[in-house]
Amino acid sequence: MQNVKPLSRPGLWDLFITWLGLGIQSFGGGSATFYLVRQTSLARGWLDDDEFTRAWALAQVSPGINLMKLTILIGKRLRGWPGLIVSVSGLILPSALVTVLMTAGFSAIRGQPLIQAAMRGIFPATIGLSLAMAVQMGWPLLARARKEGRARLAAHVLVLAGSALMLAGGYGSPVVVLLLSGAATLLTLAVVPAGRELPVEKEAG
Amino acid sequence: MNLLLFFWLFLKASLLSFGGLGNLPFLHKDLIDLGWAQESDFVTAIAVGQLSPGPTGLWSLSLGYLTAGWLGAGLALVALSLPTLLILVVASFYNRLEKLPSVQGFTRGLSLGVVGLTLAVAWGLAGAAIEDWYGILIAAGALGLALSKRVPVVVILGLGALAGLLVYG
Repeated sequence: MQNVKPLSRPGLWDLFITWLGLGIQSFGGGSATFYLVRQTSLARGWLDDDEFTRAWALAQVSPGINLMKLTILIGKRLRGWPGLIVSVSGLILPSALVTVLMTAGFSAIRGQPLIQAAMRGIFPATIGLSLAMAVQMGWPLLARARKEGRARLAAHVLVLAGSALMLAGGYGSPVVVLLLSGAATLLTLAVVPAGRELPVEKEAG
Repeated sequence: MNLLLFFWLFLKASLLSFGGLGNLPFLHKDLIDLGWAQESDFVTAIAVGQLSPGPTGLWSLSLGYLTAGWLGAGLALVALSLPTLLILVVASFYNRLEKLPSVQGFTRGLSLGVVGLTLAVAWGLAGAAIEDWYGILIAAGALGLALSKRVPVVVILGLGALAGLLVYG
């Protein structure tokens, strides 16, 4: 994608204002923002559909916040390093400021009984959200393994459960557990060949 | 508090994670072990991260603020931003990386490990966040609503707050 010329070349100020707008509108979580960024990129002719999908795929395989990586790729592509800097600043700075101000505001009022009661309801809800995230991330991985046969599905479940139990039990740091999971999966994929395709029921998104 | 170590811990967590709450297990272990943060700081930061605009990954700015004030939030933001530049390296090696089967296999294992870590951390946080059967009900309700994908996160947390007011208020 490095060789392809961008479809349009916006001015730096214009670029900053556009990303600032995206950053300010990004209430409602990452996936809502992702669609907003996609819509804007395509509408302004920054990237075409294929290029956008490829950029998003690349953002999944390197460390850090996915949306920030996507912004880096688009900003750099449009206007080089200055483009990268104004795009990321526009996206992140307003939300970063609001996040810290909300934390500060909350620290100031967290002693009040009604706030405490509300927080005692919000905390369990965040646990539910974390579990939902685990299910949403784990489901496609297990569904893919299931298509490759029972043996691979079993191996995947073992790696998943093993890593969860190791960390919950305090055996090994997260880095060690992650590297072990990677190595174990690489090994089982090499040893256990993909079996015949099993009938797969309708998959939930 | 050693600010250099503080910065390194946030940087390391960001380098080893893929966005969202991915850096949570690392920060949770390191900051709790050092005694710099409480379980309640983590649940607070996660809740604020979900409610505030921008990527969920910004939750660690909230944690930075709770542990070390405005300076902590600033250091957390720099630590969160720097590793994302590695995408440029990955993009330039993209064609070679993508075709190696061993890279694909290892990446699948990493993803499985990330799911395992998420579960383990939820288990650890549940000790501080869930007090009784009402807490379990609220967590289960939030899980169901989130999985339905029809209810925005802000509404789920708002319902949690409402339930808290009714039960504990």
